[in-house]
Amino acid sequence: MNKTLIIGLGNPILTDDGVGVKVAREIEKLVNLEVHPDLTVTEASAGGLRLMEAVLDYQRVVLIDAYYLNPESTIPGKIHRLELEDLRSVSPTQHSTSAHDTSLVTALDAAQIMGFQIPEEYIIYAVEVENILEFSETPTPAVAAAIPQVADLIIKELSLSLR
Amino acid sequence: MERITIDPITRLEGHGKIEIFLNEEGNVKNAYLQIPELRGFEQFSIGRPAEEMPRITNRICGVCPEAHHMAATKALDALFGVEPSSAVKKLRELFYSSFYVTDHTVHFYALGGPDFVLGPDSDPAERNILGVIRKVGVDIGIQVIECRKRNHEVIKMLGGRGVHPVAGLPGGWSKSMTKEEHELILEYAKQNIDFALFSLKIFDDIVLANQAYVDLIVSDAFTHQTYYMGTVDEKNQINFYDGLIRVVGPDGAELVKYPAKDYAKHIAERVEPWSYLKFPYLKAVGWKGFVDGADSGVYCATPLSRLNAADGMATPKAQEHYERFYETLGSKKTNGRYAPVHHRLATHWARLIELLYAAERMQELAQDPEITDPDVRPVITSIPTEGIGSVEAPRGTLTHHYKTDENGILTDVNLIVGTTNNNAPIAMSIKKAAEGLIKNGEVSEGLLNQVEMAFRNYDPCMSCATHSLPGQMPLEIQIRDKDGKLVNRLSQYVDQP
Repeated sequence: MNKTLIIGLGNPILTDDGVGVKVAREIEKLVNLEVHPDLTVTEASAGGLRLMEAVLDYQRVVLIDAYYLNPESTIPGKIHRLELEDLRSVSPTQHSTSAHDTSLVTALDAAQIMGFQIPEEYIIYAVEVENILEFSETPTPAVAAAIPQVADLIIKELSLSLR
Repeated sequence: MERITIDPITRLEGHGKIEIFLNEEGNVKNAYLQIPELRGFEQFSIGRPAEEMPRITNRICGVCPEAHHMAATKALDALFGVEPSSAVKKLRELFYSSFYVTDHTVHFYALGGPDFVLGPDSDPAERNILGVIRKVGVDIGIQVIECRKRNHEVIKMLGGRGVHPVAGLPGGWSKSMTKEEHELILEYAKQNIDFALFSLKIFDDIVLANQAYVDLIVSDAFTHQTYYMGTVDEKNQINFYDGLIRVVGPDGAELVKYPAKDYAKHIAERVEPWSYLKFPYLKAVGWKGFVDGADSGVYCATPLSRLNAADGMATPKAQEHYERFYETLGSKKTNGRYAPVHHRLATHWARLIELLYAAERMQELAQDPEITDPDVRPVITSIPTEGIGSVEAPRGTLTHHYKTDENGILTDVNLIVGTTNNNAPIAMSIKKAAEGLIKNGEVSEGLLNQVEMAFRNYDPCMSCATHSLPGQMPLEIQIRDKDGKLVNRLSQYVDQP
C-alpha cells in the first residue's frame, strides 16, 4: 500500500500564513476519505524535526505551505508546484528555518543518516502570500481565492474521489 | 550613524536580524536583535470568551505552545477565581515537565550544541544537527529522536492534542490519566533521566574536557554581571510551573520575591529611539542604560538566570550537577548559597541541568499517588474580572494578563513573553561580541559566528509560528554609512532565488 499524507502547514490565525492548513481542511471536506484508506489529511504548525517525525511512516507526502518572497516581487495567490530538491536549493545551507528547529530537508537528511525510512515521494504546493505578521483568521483576498484552486490541483494530481 | 545589519540569523526563525549601529569613528555604539513584530493580537483576542485563550495563545508560537497554554490556563484560574486542586497542579506540572525535556533537548543538540560539539570556528554549513550526528555518532541522533518521540506522546496523551494542547481549563484539566498511560509515563520518565544524564556526560566529554572551550565560556567577551530572575518554590528551589518570582543581584543577594500578579509593580519597560523593541528593567533599581552592575536595572531570565536566582534544585541528581556547575566555574558560597555565574555561554550547561531536573520532576510526579485522581474538572461559579498567570517558559518568565466583562468576554490582553525579558541582555551580549571584531569600521572575520554564539545561548524565540517557505534567506551583513547608503555587503551564503 502506498500510504499518503497530505499535510497543511502554517499558523491558521496569522492571516495568510495558514493557507496550507486551510487547503488541507478544504481537501478533507471535499474528498471521500472512506474510499482512500491509505490517505491521511492533517495540519501542522511545525517545521523541521517535528514535521520530519510526522511524515516518517508514509511513502508519499503532500506539503502545502505559504511562500513568502520579497514583498516587491511577490504575486499574492500565485501557486507553485515544487519538489523536495527545490526546498534544498531554496535552503542550500541546511540551516534551520525556525527559532527552535532545523529545516525539513536537514531533518530528513538526519533521519536518513540515522537509518529511518523516509518518504519516497514529495509533492509540495506553495502559495505566495502577502501578510504573515498580523493576527487574523481571514486570509487576504488573492490568497483566499487560491485555496480552492490548490485543493483542486491536489485532488486531480492524486486522482482522489469526491464525496 | 553607520549601521550594520546581519539578516537574518541562521538557526533562528528566518526573519529575524541583527542590527549593529556604529558611531562616528566606526566603532560599535548600539546593537539589537530585531524580531519581526506580530501585530494585532490584542484586537484578535478582545471580544472572545476568555476560556478560549489557552487554545488561541498556543497558536502564537510554534516553538513553545505548551508554555503559552499553561500560562493562559493559570491566568484563567485567577480570572475565574478557582484554585486548582493539588491533583490538577501535579498533572499540569507533569505535562509541563515532559515539554521541558523536548524543548531543552532540541536546543542542545540542534541549536546551541553545534557551536561546541563542532567548535565555534567550524564551517557554518556544518554547524547543525547533521554535523553533530556526524561528529558524535548516529546512535546519539537516534536517542535524540526517541526522546522527542516519547515526550511528544506524553504531551499528546495529557494535553489532548499533539502539537497544540487543549486540556487546560479554568481551575482544572480536561482529562485525567488512564492506568495504561500512567505506566507508560513512569517508564518514559526513567528513560528521560537516563537521557539527561547521558547528555550531561556528552557536555563533560566534549566541552568541559576541552580547555579551549572552558576558556571561551569564562572569557570576558561572553560575561555580563546583571540581575537574574526565576520562579522558585517555598524552599527557593527552581520550579517551572509555579511559585514566586525571585530576582537576585549580581552578587546573589535577593532583591525581591513576588507573586506573578504583582509583575507591573516590579517591571517597567524602556523604549529606545533606535529600536522598536521594548526593554524591560527592574523598577526598584532603575534604568541606567545597557550596562552591567548592581546599579543597572537590566535583568536576565534564562536557564542560567533560574539557577542563579534559586538556592538549588528540587531533585537529587540535578542538585548534584548544580553544585558541580558552581564549583567548576569557581563560584563561592556565601550565606549558604552560591554566588551567581555570569558567563553567558554557561547557559548551555545550565539548560542541561534543567533538562535533568525536568526528567526527575516528571518521575516524582508520576510516582505520586494523587496523579491518577480522576476528579480534575471543577465547576466554576464565580464571576470573572481579571487574571494573571505565569510560568517559566524555557526561554524566560512568561506572563499572561487578561481582563473581562462580567460574562467572561475579554476586554484587555497583555502578554510578556519569555524572550522579551532578555531584550536588553541580548543587546548587550551582541554589542560586546561585535566590539571585539569591529574596529574603526573594519569588520574582522568571525563576526557572524561570534555574534551568533552571543545571542544563541539565550535561545531567543522569534515570537511566532510562521513557517512560510522558503523561511530562510542568506545570513548577511550590511554596512551602511551614516546617510544610510550601503557601502559594503558581506554574505556567507547563496542568495535566495
